[in-house]
Amino acid sequence: MSALVGSELLKLRTTRAWIGFVLAVLAVSAIGASATVGTASALDRGSTALSHDVIHSSLLAGFIAFLIGITLVTAEWRHGTITRTLLVTPRRERVLVAKELTGLMVGVVLAVLALVLVLAIAIVWLEIEGSSFGFDGHVAESILRVLLSAALWGALGVGVGAVFQSQTPALVVAILWILVVEPLVIALLGLAHVEGVGDYLPGAALASFEGGSDEGLTPWAAGAVGLCWVVAFGLAGYLRLARRDVT
Amino acid sequence: MIEVERLTKRYGSTLAVDDLSFTVHPGRVTGFLGPNGAGKSTTLRAILGLVHPNGGRTTVLGRPYAELAHPGKQVGAVLEAFDAHPGRSGRNHLRVLATAARLPRSRVDEVLALVELTDAGRRRTKGYSLGMRQRLGLAAALLGDPEVFVLDEPANGLDPQGIRWLRDFLRSLADEGRTILISSHVLAEVAQTVDEVVIIHRGKLIRHAGMTEVEAMAEGATTVRTPESDRLASLLIQAELDVRRLDDGRLAVSGAPERVGEIAAANGVVLHELTTERATLEDIFLQLTATEEEAAA
Repeated sequence: MSALVGSELLKLRTTRAWIGFVLAVLAVSAIGASATVGTASALDRGSTALSHDVIHSSLLAGFIAFLIGITLVTAEWRHGTITRTLLVTPRRERVLVAKELTGLMVGVVLAVLALVLVLAIAIVWLEIEGSSFGFDGHVAESILRVLLSAALWGALGVGVGAVFQSQTPALVVAILWILVVEPLVIALLGLAHVEGVGDYLPGAALASFEGGSDEGLTPWAAGAVGLCWVVAFGLAGYLRLARRDVT
Repeated sequence: MIEVERLTKRYGSTLAVDDLSFTVHPGRVTGFLGPNGAGKSTTLRAILGLVHPNGGRTTVLGRPYAELAHPGKQVGAVLEAFDAHPGRSGRNHLRVLATAARLPRSRVDEVLALVELTDAGRRRTKGYSLGMRQRLGLAAALLGDPEVFVLDEPANGLDPQGIRWLRDFLRSLADEGRTILISSHVLAEVAQTVDEVVIIHRGKLIRHAGMTEVEAMAEGATTVRTPESDRLASLLIQAELDVRRLDDGRLAVSGAPERVGEIAAANGVVLHELTTERATLEDIFLQLTATEEEAAA
């Protein structure tokens, strides 16, 4: 399995798409962290509340990991490389598991890059202003949840990619779902006074695992719900992959 | 060794492969022939575990492809569609495959040199010519130094020197005792390469024969032109030869020209033309696939 994951990581590194993805994560995280620290009131400086906000300015890492996860599968169909992949590894479940693990790793790596950047910006900035970066157990947990949720996003993307198989529909539907459809559904559920159901949708679950929320599921329960979605899409994706003829 | 047993594959209402059985033996180059759309690619993809059959089974080295211990080291394949990422260099494409198959990285440069892509290997594959793509496919097939080769129309896009090189190379692989199955829709293209042929049409087996047998079928008919064609025809039929009247009035006779000439001379028939026509391999191929078509109609 390590050989297969190594091969998947090599696939990512040997095309150029990753450069744009990484730059986007870094740019948005840097802007987010600077804006958060720059606009914080004097009272907030040094508080752990500000630290939580700084950490959450890295959240694009999860979404980008999601998109990369999707393309880990769909790019193979798009360019026909799936043929060679399956010739070397005809056991399709092994191919998908390797991609899921790669998706997890992509999420962790992107989150680490984003976190290092936002923490560096905040720590240096606050230090220069004679303040300090507020840190306690909750802040540490927040960092851990950002890492884990980005990993789940990456793996969820792999499952979604395996379900859709073709690249453009997969990316369009996934982006629309997370940014438009799911918030809309949650709003409509709210209007209909069906509270709480929306917390179980994949985007909402992973978002509250990442950032926590004041009501509804606790972060770790939301994380468990997110994991269930990862497994569900992974299984559905496996069924699609196992049955398809590669012609 | 490749075994195909009663393989059947349907795409919707189209029967692509119909109860097809044949065996490919080691130490020989076996040609897999049929017109376009005969079911060759589907059969090859079924052998390689890429297509799920509706019936029957295929094995490579005694096992279904998916159950091979190290498919990357046991079977090398080139399929018709280009299967490298356009944005990845040829060398990195092979590195990805070598990593997944747990092959040493040095093997990548070896096969690149073998197919003469060492320099082009650094470039992204989107700029590759058809011939370079074909050679990159061959490099991928050779990567694991496999026992069995499955090649779908590998000569496509190769220049004459490339075809010559491929022919000699396949010959040497077969002489080492490896199993080689190579498809083509042009019999003449592989005639000099293969030891035997499996000919299919509309998903069905037409003929599995040694190349010498196929070449014997090309031993020609005699054509004869005479002003007394009706009389000569009946004389030849009396001599128990097969006679067919061609559109231009000439007669096509199954016997040797000496025999036809002797019969004509003995009966005082004037001949204006007496020729032997050696059927080309393509004629044989068309004839075999056409008779099947008539039988089906």
